[in-house]
Amino acid sequence: MAFTSAIPAADRLPVTVLTGYLGAGKTTLLNRILTHEHGLKVAVIVNEFGEVGIDNQLVVDADEEIFEMNNGCICCTVRGDLIRIIGNLMKRRDRFDHLVIETTGLADPAPVIQTFFVDDDLRDELKLDAVVTLVDLKHVLLHWEAEEVQEQLAFADVLLLNKADLVDESERLGIERRIRAINPMARLLTTHNADAPMDQILGVDAFELERALSLDQGFLLEEHAHEHDDAVGSLALVEERPMDLDRLGRWLSDLVAKRGPDLFRMKGIIQLKGEDNRYVFQSVHMLLDGDFDRPWKPAERRCTQFVIIGRDLDPEGLRDGFSACVA
Amino acid sequence: MTATAPLVSERLCGQLQQGITTLSWSADGEFLAIASAGGELLLLDFRAGCEELLRSDRDSSLNAIGFSADGQFLMAVGQASELLLWELGETGVRPMALDPIPLDAGWLDAAAWQPRGLLLAVAAGRQVRLWDGAVRAWRPECLDMPGTVHALAWSCDGRRLAASCHGELALWQPEAAPAAMPLRAPTGSAGLVLSFSPIGDLLACGQMDRSLLLWPEAGQGRPWQFSGFPAKVRALAWSDQAGRLAPALAVASGDTVVLWQQRNQSQQGWQPEPLLWHQQRVHALAFAPDSNLLASASADGTVGLWDSRGRLRQPLEGEGQGFQALAWRPDGRHLAAGGDQGRWWLWPVEVPSRERQRRSGGAGFG
Repeated sequence: MAFTSAIPAADRLPVTVLTGYLGAGKTTLLNRILTHEHGLKVAVIVNEFGEVGIDNQLVVDADEEIFEMNNGCICCTVRGDLIRIIGNLMKRRDRFDHLVIETTGLADPAPVIQTFFVDDDLRDELKLDAVVTLVDLKHVLLHWEAEEVQEQLAFADVLLLNKADLVDESERLGIERRIRAINPMARLLTTHNADAPMDQILGVDAFELERALSLDQGFLLEEHAHEHDDAVGSLALVEERPMDLDRLGRWLSDLVAKRGPDLFRMKGIIQLKGEDNRYVFQSVHMLLDGDFDRPWKPAERRCTQFVIIGRDLDPEGLRDGFSACVA
Repeated sequence: MTATAPLVSERLCGQLQQGITTLSWSADGEFLAIASAGGELLLLDFRAGCEELLRSDRDSSLNAIGFSADGQFLMAVGQASELLLWELGETGVRPMALDPIPLDAGWLDAAAWQPRGLLLAVAAGRQVRLWDGAVRAWRPECLDMPGTVHALAWSCDGRRLAASCHGELALWQPEAAPAAMPLRAPTGSAGLVLSFSPIGDLLACGQMDRSLLLWPEAGQGRPWQFSGFPAKVRALAWSDQAGRLAPALAVASGDTVVLWQQRNQSQQGWQPEPLLWHQQRVHALAFAPDSNLLASASADGTVGLWDSRGRLRQPLEGEGQGFQALAWRPDGRHLAAGGDQGRWWLWPVEVPSRERQRRSGGAGFG
């Protein structure tokens, strides 16, 4: 199931999803977004326990309500309250040009993300800009085993390592290493008071295919499975030989059909046999999207790079399946 | 009148600050209320020939409005989670605003007056509450639902109230004596729009899962389910003209309007005819009272006027604005429409005589 809309991205309203465990600093960041002179008119949807202290008619309460679209399959769950509230808000579209959705500290981010690809209206009117996850450096290790914490890290496009002033350098690097094992693709920003530059948070375009891998920091150069004890982890695959698109498509469809609930995010740049253009790919659970991108540059190292973030990954099986897609 | 004569040749229009969310006529057709996404509420008084801005731009949307059946009250609900009420006096006299009633239930977008009565049903989160115009207070009893209520509809006799949320449809008779438990039916998806037929008491429910549920007996028994719509089912309208069996039902899904006619009593007895013309999402549908003329309003900036055979009789243009709302005057000869940039239109419509059946009262020369 491809998840891009037929409507050009430029015509759709960008949406930032803000996640983070309780006390990570989401309210501080929301207040910064609402008061910052970034020239954007931002509408904010907060959960019912949100306490944004700013009086603004474009701050709207939502009451988290999960709709199971298909017999309880985790990949088909969406946030029904968001569909309703955003439907109402879009009638006021000329009043704002960016939407931020705050989720509760205990929320699984997947239904929020899937809402923007599964619902007819939202898919055509909005584009998911990025999932921004705040991490409380001081307390994150206390909750590290919580499923919500690992999922929020796994789904992130941008990770704000907040309250950096409350930990020393070696603690911070230790946490960063553990976070990288779960999510090697996200942009990492270290902050004290959620004071990240706005242009690193809003207008990121992380879900647009042409930007799919623009956030990487060179981590993809070598194939690796991160050593860790966490249930949620990642696997990076690199292949010098050109791939076969049909085989790759069959393998991925089969993979998400069997393991979809455990596969949080995948992103890849694929070198296809007989193709001068790069093929880019990404997924959220069972939602897959791929398309041709720009031509490979002459000086560029032509190879396929593929990252999988998920729960209980089987590195051997995934590597074998991937290798079998070589043309 | 020839077949090619235009149905509409003049218009009246005006402008609010933000997109029009909904329009509503009083039962006598003398008042038209128009609400916007900025919270404006404009009242047109046709007998007095004046207009009154009951509420100016508040930066807080209004989403449902309506006149009580006796014309005594006008209500409005929206983003601010308050019930707003006005008491209407003589024509030409400014309506008197009652104190806003806070509900603290998030964004309110569904509320409906009881036909032939004074109860106002308001969807407030996971409850349906009833405000009683006779005593100007909330009724103590309310209808609890397992999810946020998306749609409400009264049966035409005003006895039954249907409400839908994700997974369930409830049917309540709030004035039944002795009090009866609401009937509850699983729906498998979220009902986004509900409508009882004016003849035969069928109940239609348009769902998020791209299907239409249709109960033959006012929401009781087993519904027919029709699937395969191109998108969620967003708007419904019943004709008030008797068909061979049930009256015609128009359904909007994506950019498609489907006209359903019942040929026999089986599930296969319902025949769909797609009306393909709109380029973008169809937001509203309405049959002209006392006729089979159907109006469809689309985000593509057009209103289509369709005859009973599904032929497009006349397109109306929105001057570059998408249409979001429609309402026929009860006389069936004037159509009001609202645009997404705040413009509203009022068109006198010459309904073709073959689409207009004589009322049993014999007022055929009106």
